[in-house]
Amino acid sequence: MILPKFAYAKPKSIDETIELYTRYEGRACYLAGGTDIIPLAKQRLVAPDIVIDLKNIEGLKAIEKNDDFLIIGANTTIFDLKKYPLTKEYFRGFYESLDETSCETLQMRGTIGGNILQNTRCLFYNKSIEWRTARGFCFKMGGAVCNAVPKGNICFSNYCSDNAVSLITLSAELGFVSPKGERRINIEEIFSGNSIKPFNLEPGEILTRIYIPMKKNSGAYEKIRVRGSIDYPLINVAVALKDSGGDVSIGGVGPAPLSYHIDSVDENSVEALAQKAYSDVKTVANTVLTPSYRKRMAKVLVKRAIKRALQEVK
Amino acid sequence: MGYQTDIIGKRVVRTDSLAKVTGTALYTADMKLPNMLVAKILRSPHHHARIVKIDTSPALKVPGVKAAISGFDGYGIKWGVFRYTQDHAMLPTDKVRYIGEDVAAVAAVDEETANEALSRIIVEYDPLPAVFDPIESMKDGAPQIHNEYKNNINIHIHIDVGNVDKAMAEAFLVREDTFKAAGEAYAMMEPYAVVASYANGYLDLWMPNAGPHVRAKALSNLLKIPLNRVRVRHINSGGAFGGRSEVAPGDLVASLLSIKAGRPVKLVLSREENATSSRQVHDIVAVVKTGMKKDGTVIAKDYKVIYDGGAYSSTGPIATSIPFYVYEECYRFPNVRYNGYRVFTNKGIRGMYGCHGRAFLAGNEAQMDIMAKELGIDPVEIRLKNGLTAGETTATKSKITSCGLAETIRAASEKTKFKERWAQKEDNKGIGMGCIAIMCGFPMGFRSGSSCYVKINDDGQVTLVTGLVDNGQGNESMVVQVASEVLGVPMEDINLVNADTEVTNLDPGAYSQAAAFVGANAVKAACENARKRIVSIAAEKLGTEENDIGLKNRMAYSISMPDKKMPISWVVREAFFRGEPIVATGSYFPNIDFEREWVSRPWGQMAGTFSFGTSVAEVDIDPETGKITMPRFTAAHDCGRPINPMAVEGQMDGSIQQAGVATITEGNVWDNGFLLNPDLLEYKVPLACDMPEIETLIVESHDPDGPFGAKEGGLTVRMNAYSAVACAVTNATGKLFSELPLTPDKVLVLLDDNKGVKG
Repeated sequence: MILPKFAYAKPKSIDETIELYTRYEGRACYLAGGTDIIPLAKQRLVAPDIVIDLKNIEGLKAIEKNDDFLIIGANTTIFDLKKYPLTKEYFRGFYESLDETSCETLQMRGTIGGNILQNTRCLFYNKSIEWRTARGFCFKMGGAVCNAVPKGNICFSNYCSDNAVSLITLSAELGFVSPKGERRINIEEIFSGNSIKPFNLEPGEILTRIYIPMKKNSGAYEKIRVRGSIDYPLINVAVALKDSGGDVSIGGVGPAPLSYHIDSVDENSVEALAQKAYSDVKTVANTVLTPSYRKRMAKVLVKRAIKRALQEVK
Repeated sequence: MGYQTDIIGKRVVRTDSLAKVTGTALYTADMKLPNMLVAKILRSPHHHARIVKIDTSPALKVPGVKAAISGFDGYGIKWGVFRYTQDHAMLPTDKVRYIGEDVAAVAAVDEETANEALSRIIVEYDPLPAVFDPIESMKDGAPQIHNEYKNNINIHIHIDVGNVDKAMAEAFLVREDTFKAAGEAYAMMEPYAVVASYANGYLDLWMPNAGPHVRAKALSNLLKIPLNRVRVRHINSGGAFGGRSEVAPGDLVASLLSIKAGRPVKLVLSREENATSSRQVHDIVAVVKTGMKKDGTVIAKDYKVIYDGGAYSSTGPIATSIPFYVYEECYRFPNVRYNGYRVFTNKGIRGMYGCHGRAFLAGNEAQMDIMAKELGIDPVEIRLKNGLTAGETTATKSKITSCGLAETIRAASEKTKFKERWAQKEDNKGIGMGCIAIMCGFPMGFRSGSSCYVKINDDGQVTLVTGLVDNGQGNESMVVQVASEVLGVPMEDINLVNADTEVTNLDPGAYSQAAAFVGANAVKAACENARKRIVSIAAEKLGTEENDIGLKNRMAYSISMPDKKMPISWVVREAFFRGEPIVATGSYFPNIDFEREWVSRPWGQMAGTFSFGTSVAEVDIDPETGKITMPRFTAAHDCGRPINPMAVEGQMDGSIQQAGVATITEGNVWDNGFLLNPDLLEYKVPLACDMPEIETLIVESHDPDGPFGAKEGGLTVRMNAYSAVACAVTNATGKLFSELPLTPDKVLVLLDDNKGVKG
């Protein structure tokens, strides 16, 4: 499958990037590692006039820290971030989600920024133009139906980032620059809850940095996939223990991760949380394996992740 | 009786390995011919529709487009493997019958232009009701996919031996179960590609295929070009597994485009097209009813198997029969009834995958275990009791000559301490065994035999010419190794010309598991004939008897007085001098009953010999997630005698992935007629991290007719690995699977049933 035609630029600064984006009146896509956008372009799910490669922008690949935060440049690869000594020591759950992302070769290419801002996925969406034309266009493509759920009236595509869930449990913040200026928000605020357009981003907004509060957290990450590598999560759960309780986030099921806080990790609280998660999780037949199985795994993974996080404390 | 050999039985580097691992091996998509054009195919967006009109002329107006065709540019001839299955026009003019079917095509100077041209082609369709489930498809009132096949039943195979009903009534234990399996994807690493070059009345073609002669013949018929002017050339093949045995629409497309454009044309399918529009594997529903005596003797089998064939016949009766045959060639069934139905649906065309039939095979084996357990018999015992032995005859009258089945059962069982492990009740852990036999060749009329021509060049180097085909399993290297043994020259002195219809003679191809038994036998025969000539001259020159001459390391020598020797090259030159160069032909035609017909006369000698094998799988089941991990897999294969043990082991290793681990991961997923996982992300081919520790054991039964005693090199594992896994799951859970693949969601359903839990 060949790519569609597009212009390509590799600016050296944020300002240059924004200038390009504005000049092309938004008919542009940002390129980091490319593991999300190249398949989408080949399938004609995106067709930008220009692809703006962010990899030359100074400073977006550095990892720094101060007393309060670990500051990760958005262009840092999953692999480099995984190998950074502090990651495993301070943020065990995040280390695990990085390690479980795809496979190691793709970890060396994909960036943490791209991993967070990946498009939602669905068996009926991530297909070639020919396949989709024969099937008929769905909500996410600008059509008027959901192909996965007959008579469905919303888009059910799934947000499948391995690492967003662990970052949520770490209360991470994201730094952006856009034509309108800079902002820094809690990671949970980027999700729109609408799978057709999953992120609350300004046009042209560039993710520059991820800020993680510098506090050692014991945590864990659990993922369901058919094979031991490469596959996206069919459902995933991240846990970070804090004080006597913890934060839990569940992804791979619908437009945005679910998140919970529990004040205590005693057996009853964990059971109650697992039950609530099971009840909240909504799955439909838009992945391999059955929706009832994925929903059921919410309960299993919540308990497993918390159990492992607690073991790590000991 | 394994006689001494110099190179047969040695682990040699294959002749194709260096090129393949250094990336210099040429595949069809790599080919560049002068003025070559790029082809693209326009495919049906409908499951089932009448073609009202096709207008390719707008495509020709796009600059850079050199040809545009549809089925109306051909002769409207329908092709079929059998005279009674001629239903495939390659490019239809009447109806489209599945999403992704080839409808029209263009050849242009580059891919972008071709894509633009495709978008200009006008096709008017009149959609028709479609049917996707074979059971629904067989019902009265279902949409008729082909006029000639009532109730969409493509093939009905009926086999009836003995008196099944009587035997069932007399059986001590009777059980009936239904097993289903999703069809797999071949997922060969090389997506289909074809280069066609028509010039001066000759049509040359390159494509990955299992038998070039069959292709050439089909294209000769379809295009009304004389057979000698259709030349299918040798090219490396990146895997076939049974999915590249027949002529493909792409072959006709590329040929027609080349004829019209007057230039070579290359067509390369995308991974998605390879999945939707080349062969798929049959989904199967198998009802298995077994009657057993109290001592575990199987006395009756009653089968009803429904094969979802997709939109066209493909191999038709062969696919509908083969799973039954590989099973009846393994076990003693005095009474057996088989009703196999291949049914049309509006989906892609289904072919055989190795010998295919995982629902049927795994179902039989797992059911047998559970019945045996009820009788207090373990899986080893039940298989030794019912397994066939040398000298016996199968239910459909095939005589077994060499048979290492019992040895493979014992070897695999001892290696894994099977009996103790199976008897232990370890929570969520299981061990299981699967057995099978594989026919080495089957009736294909005059194409069942192979013929080889060998010439020795004046420097003593050899050229072998044979129709034999290699799809990556190492057949080419195998025959070079055979020639090396017989002629006494090292493998690097031997050139192989193969699978070229202009030059090489008929051969079954990489089809019906005949390469070692038939193809290599012909090579051996040819080389032995050449050897006789060499020996005769050498004996004369060295002043000794012919039976005193040995050939080794490029030398002809006296066995009794080894100092008396001369280079083979001198012998060859002497032969040239005499006007009688050392050239020879040799053929091998297996002992098959050619009165056998798949439908009308399904009995008689199926093949010249059979291989046998036993696999043992060990599984751990996570009871909360249903995920199965496989710590170890052991396979024992009776290949008669390995020519290159490394190649046999390679086949076994690959089969453990492709059939064993695949049992828990692989299956095509459908939404009516839309294939939901036509890609390598969502179609779950097992990865390195999913693989078990592997143990492969080669058993030698020294076939009396095979070359150096050899039989096929490893397909038993591909056909018994899923049985081993299914049986291991039965051992772990006490339950029979009902559906493959055994993905975690399905395993949880099994475990839930155990607990009496719903959901």
